[in-house]
Amino acid sequence: MTMTWTCEQTEARLSDYLDGLLDAAEWGAFNQHVNTCATCTPLVASVAHTLGGLYALEQVEPPPQLETAILRATLGAVPSKLDFWAWLRSLQSPRFVYGAVSVAATIVLLLTATGFNWRKPKLADLAPATVYHRANGYVHVAYARSTKFVSDLRVVYEIQSRMNEGDQSPAMREETIPQSSPKKEPGRTDNTNPSTPKQQNRANDISRRLEVLACEFPILSGSLVDRRVP
Amino acid sequence: MEQDAQLVQQCLQGVGSAWEELVRRHTRRIFNICYRFTGNRTEAEDLTQDVFLRVYRTLASYRSAYGGFATWMTSVTRNLLIDHYRRTKRDRVTDSLDDAMPVVENKESVARRPDEQALLGELSGQVQSALTRLSPELREAVILRDLQQLEYIEIQRVLEVPEGTVKSRINRGRIELARILQQMGVRPA
Repeated sequence: MTMTWTCEQTEARLSDYLDGLLDAAEWGAFNQHVNTCATCTPLVASVAHTLGGLYALEQVEPPPQLETAILRATLGAVPSKLDFWAWLRSLQSPRFVYGAVSVAATIVLLLTATGFNWRKPKLADLAPATVYHRANGYVHVAYARSTKFVSDLRVVYEIQSRMNEGDQSPAMREETIPQSSPKKEPGRTDNTNPSTPKQQNRANDISRRLEVLACEFPILSGSLVDRRVP
Repeated sequence: MEQDAQLVQQCLQGVGSAWEELVRRHTRRIFNICYRFTGNRTEAEDLTQDVFLRVYRTLASYRSAYGGFATWMTSVTRNLLIDHYRRTKRDRVTDSLDDAMPVVENKESVARRPDEQALLGELSGQVQSALTRLSPELREAVILRDLQQLEYIEIQRVLEVPEGTVKSRINRGRIELARILQQMGVRPA
């Protein structure tokens, strides 16, 4: 006699079927119903597929520091072995790496500055006295170079300022003379007026040179005298 | 199991290394239950730590009459997971987040780390995602039975419900999981 089976029974006993817990009669009735029912066939297939997916889920590895965190939270102090590994892991932190790189770069710079030979490193080069003498020598050389540089700059600026002063034309100088109080002097017809003693000296110097020229070239002396004294 | 009982006795006598051994033996299993239930590594880490903290504090109350130490620990884990679920559900309501599946899925997929995405295969990832959409009663039953391979009697002890209820929840959980996967477009080949 065949056992009757319904859709409700299929759904209620589905896990028993999949786990192999149905007896022979139930098993036969279940299969017969499912093979002829358009509703139950996809249901059984999808649940079986889901079960396969569940069984395929692999165990997830917990993070390595979890055990340490649990022991720290429960026992307080972590055992020395775990503590050592935790300390090693802490060295991988970016803060420590940056700090270590900065210190190494500083040491390299200081050693290079003190003349340490990286190609032929010698232990004697690291002796404090040697490092001091080299550093002292470098400091003195740097000081001497900077002093010389400043001195050279001073000379250059001085020469430049004198040249600028010499290139300044008389016409420019005239423009600088105030026109409000022209002081007339005897023998001057061009309204020029040496405003400073330096300019006066320069004018006297030019006069003296003209007189020397007049003595050496007598032919010109008459014409020069004639021009100067109309 | 016998070894667990001995380790518990040693713990109660103040032997620190016995507790370390218990932690090493059970961390992976507890972490996996928490991870499969929450679907989030960070939450699973925190919950695993909470489980061990509670077990450590209540170790003296453990009696072998409850069943094995692993079953007792699983029971503690289950209680904490349910507490966590209720707490986070309140938070979700406070944040006006709907329990609608796509929203929850998107939020989780955004929060999940790239290494987690790589860790989960295509189907495994979909199954894990579908698991987190199950109601907590069905979810815990499916996890204990199909992922932790516990016997019905052990699940009965952990959940503290009759065997018929255990079977019913496992059955309904599997069917509901299959429906969710179908909604996600996962169909049997």
